[in-house]
Amino acid sequence: MDELQQIEATVKTAALRKRWQMAWAGIWLAFLGGVALFLLTLSAYKLAPLPEWVLLAAAAVAAAALPVGFLCGWMRRQDLPGVARWLDQREQLQERLSTAMELAHRPSAGEWSHLVLRDAAAHARGFDLRRLLPWRLPPAAKWSLVGLVLAGGLGFVPEHRSPAYAQKQRERENIRQVAQGLELLTKHNLEQNPPALEPTSRALEAVMDVTGALVKNPPARGEALRELGKVAEQIQKQAAELQDKPAIRKLDQAAREQAAAGPANPGDWQKQIEALQEKLGEAAGKPEAIEKLRDDLLKAQAKAGNLPAKGTPEGDAARQEMARTLAELAQRSRNLGQNLEGLEEALAALEAGDTDLFLKDLDLAVKDLDQLREMAKALQQMRQQAAKKMGKDLAEQLKYGQAEAAIQTLRKMEAMLQSGQLSAPQMGEILKEVQNALDPAKDYGDVAQKLAKAGQCLKKGLAGEAGQALGEAAREIEQLLEQMGDAQSLAAALEALQRAQLAISTCQGLGACRGLPQAGQGGKPGEGVGTWAEETGWLYYPDKRDQLWDNTGIERPDLDPRGHSDREASRPDNLTPSKVRGQFAPGNSMPSITLKGVSIRGASSVQYEEAAAAAQTEAQNALSQDQVPRAYRGAVKDYFDDLKK
Amino acid sequence: MSTEQQVQRFREIHGALRAEIAKVIVGQEAIVENTLTAIFAGGHVLLEGVPGLGKTLLVRTLGEVLDLSFNRIQFTPDLMPADILGTNIVMETPGGRREFQFQRGPIFAHLILADEINRATPKTQSAMLEAMQEKSVTAGGEIRRLSEPFFVLATQNPIDQEGTYPLPEAQLDRFFFKLLVDYPTGAELTEVLTRTTEGIVTSAGKVMNRETLMELQKLVRQVPVASHVKDYAVRLAQATHPKTPTATAIANQYLRFGSSPRGAQTLLLAGKVRALTHGRFHVSFDDVAAVAHPALRHRLILNFEAEAEGVTTDQIVTQILQEVPREAPATKT
Repeated sequence: MDELQQIEATVKTAALRKRWQMAWAGIWLAFLGGVALFLLTLSAYKLAPLPEWVLLAAAAVAAAALPVGFLCGWMRRQDLPGVARWLDQREQLQERLSTAMELAHRPSAGEWSHLVLRDAAAHARGFDLRRLLPWRLPPAAKWSLVGLVLAGGLGFVPEHRSPAYAQKQRERENIRQVAQGLELLTKHNLEQNPPALEPTSRALEAVMDVTGALVKNPPARGEALRELGKVAEQIQKQAAELQDKPAIRKLDQAAREQAAAGPANPGDWQKQIEALQEKLGEAAGKPEAIEKLRDDLLKAQAKAGNLPAKGTPEGDAARQEMARTLAELAQRSRNLGQNLEGLEEALAALEAGDTDLFLKDLDLAVKDLDQLREMAKALQQMRQQAAKKMGKDLAEQLKYGQAEAAIQTLRKMEAMLQSGQLSAPQMGEILKEVQNALDPAKDYGDVAQKLAKAGQCLKKGLAGEAGQALGEAAREIEQLLEQMGDAQSLAAALEALQRAQLAISTCQGLGACRGLPQAGQGGKPGEGVGTWAEETGWLYYPDKRDQLWDNTGIERPDLDPRGHSDREASRPDNLTPSKVRGQFAPGNSMPSITLKGVSIRGASSVQYEEAAAAAQTEAQNALSQDQVPRAYRGAVKDYFDDLKK
Repeated sequence: MSTEQQVQRFREIHGALRAEIAKVIVGQEAIVENTLTAIFAGGHVLLEGVPGLGKTLLVRTLGEVLDLSFNRIQFTPDLMPADILGTNIVMETPGGRREFQFQRGPIFAHLILADEINRATPKTQSAMLEAMQEKSVTAGGEIRRLSEPFFVLATQNPIDQEGTYPLPEAQLDRFFFKLLVDYPTGAELTEVLTRTTEGIVTSAGKVMNRETLMELQKLVRQVPVASHVKDYAVRLAQATHPKTPTATAIANQYLRFGSSPRGAQTLLLAGKVRALTHGRFHVSFDDVAAVAHPALRHRLILNFEAEAEGVTTDQIVTQILQEVPREAPATKT
């Protein structure tokens, strides 16, 4: 290897090492840039209303900067003369290497070239490139670390956003959550009650589409309300079409009345009656026996209060007499299927001579018996109500809108007629029942026609055809029931939509705008703490009413009527009626309105449409919950409909 | 003789010259070194210093060690150009004819000591211009070549300026180096006293003759210079040009005129000599930077502001050396 090759090899090795180092430095430099960018973005994010994706983008850019920095550093090729000059400078070689490399390619240099090359080669021999170009972290690494620490520290600094932006973000998040809840609700509704009619199915799918869009990309509050309003209108229209059918209206009205009066169907009545019967046992059928047992126990209790002193012959005799009486009463209660523990314990206390305990136990036994008596009364009342509510024949069932019962009756008649084993009087009874049902069946569309046909067939003695006609009538009612199910689904969807609109308008969660209170954990109605729960919520849960309790002596000052206010006659300044002039939209003036209450000054942050929609939803809720007197309902509805226009 | 041997010979002669001069001149190594550099580069030297610092002695010693013809011209206000260059005088030939014959002046020597050159009038000073640059004299309509090598070693006194005529810029530019002779140190002064007051006779022997000097001058010019070193010399010179894109801030502020191309030539030639004396076969950045002060200080013309603020050309050169990077900055293509 001659001098030139030796020098070039050294310079090339240094150039390669320098290139790697440039790439290494490039990584750190780019990382520093990325960190600086992220730091700036984070600072801006803390101060300005930037979306979160900007932070993620900055982090991504910082991460992507590493390979870019490496490539930039690596792409900076190191020319050999430049590296030679750099080596000369670093090693104080007085430009030996660079001059030698230049002269080697200069033919005119002659013998000088050789001299310079030899001199340079002699100096290049002792190079330690690892010492010259050691691997170490560049200064950018230190500053990157400082930047990262700063970014970490900045993460703990609270954000300083404008209240308007924060409000908008909360609104968007609320819209997303409300839409999510609405989507789940509608999905559940669709799964539980698959719609029978195509338009209903389309309307509910439209709700799913809108909620899906709102979840994916929550728009501004006004836009969300408009979207929900459109769907609500569609559903309302569909529901109105269904409600226009007299049969559906009749069934719906009957269902409402039943819901208000008690269990929705005979099955529920039966369940409750059976539950009470199970608890009462043999006593369920013998309320007079319970009554007599109670009277005897009260007499025994009266005697027990006047027992002669213990130890005297009269006292001992009276106690033995009392023990016998109580034993007999206990046996009678056991015969009724009830085990009065208080009575047994009173007996034990009497034998032990503990008069106080005996009296207490006796009192407890009386209370237990009182409770049994109340349950027996309730059972009797429920039986009477059930008998009264359930129509006794087809005519009454149709009259009361008891569609399921009517279907059962019709199916039963069909089966009897199809069996062909009916006697003439039996057929006559069926004919009579069918004819009686013709008038109430007029509200059920074609059902009256089918019943009339069945009646004609019965008159002609055509039992099979009559049965077929009754079956058709039953199917007709079934179809009506399905349509009513659709109407109910639509009503549920509409209610959910209205709740969603209300929730979005008031920027509350869907749960905060529930129409009906619901039982949370622990069986308490509503949610939250304190007295925010609906106090009468238990009324909606008949299964909660099976136990009777005594709330005598419980004081609820919060529920007491307050009567007239004891405020001063003079009104505070901020409650003085004031006139404000508003605007529908820029350029259009709104008539002055008089407000009582706190005078609000400044521009409203809520769009007029949003406020109107929120008020309308609230009014609809009030209407649906019977909070508005019947006489005013039409006026209230018209007012808000006009307001929307 | 190979180049390497010639270089070796150069170093030996240079060392011998230093040693012989040191026998007579105490201290002043930088002055001696730079003077020898100018000699080997073939340039003239202007020595500036207060009286009694050995300027004249140095030049006289050089004349001794170089084995060259030596003339001394004491410049005075009444010195005329003809007193330097020579004149035509009427001479009678052996045949009895009378004719003008050129009588050579003291400039016709290899080594000229122009002592206190600033005391002569500009007219007389100008008489040196042609001789210094063209190495020829025009008298009586005839050009007469001066014998090579030809060196002018001028001295001037910075004090006692009454009745002096500062050298014109054109003439200053013709000097290869301007060397500032400073006071000797205490030890050097003690040695001077010893030599001059105790009857010790010191003399310098001849080291090389004219032919050797000419060969070595030729050798110096062959020393290779890398392009980036050459570029550095160019950028240094350009940095002194005020009101140009290449000028440094200090040049713009304090200079009226910058270095001529002779300045850049001087930087490289002197650098070559320095490279050889330092045992290298090529010129480095350090060589160029080391000779920047003597090569440029007399070529920079200060403006009024610099004069008023007492800024010297040496300060400006120092600043320029600091500001001009050795590696050329990357240019946009």
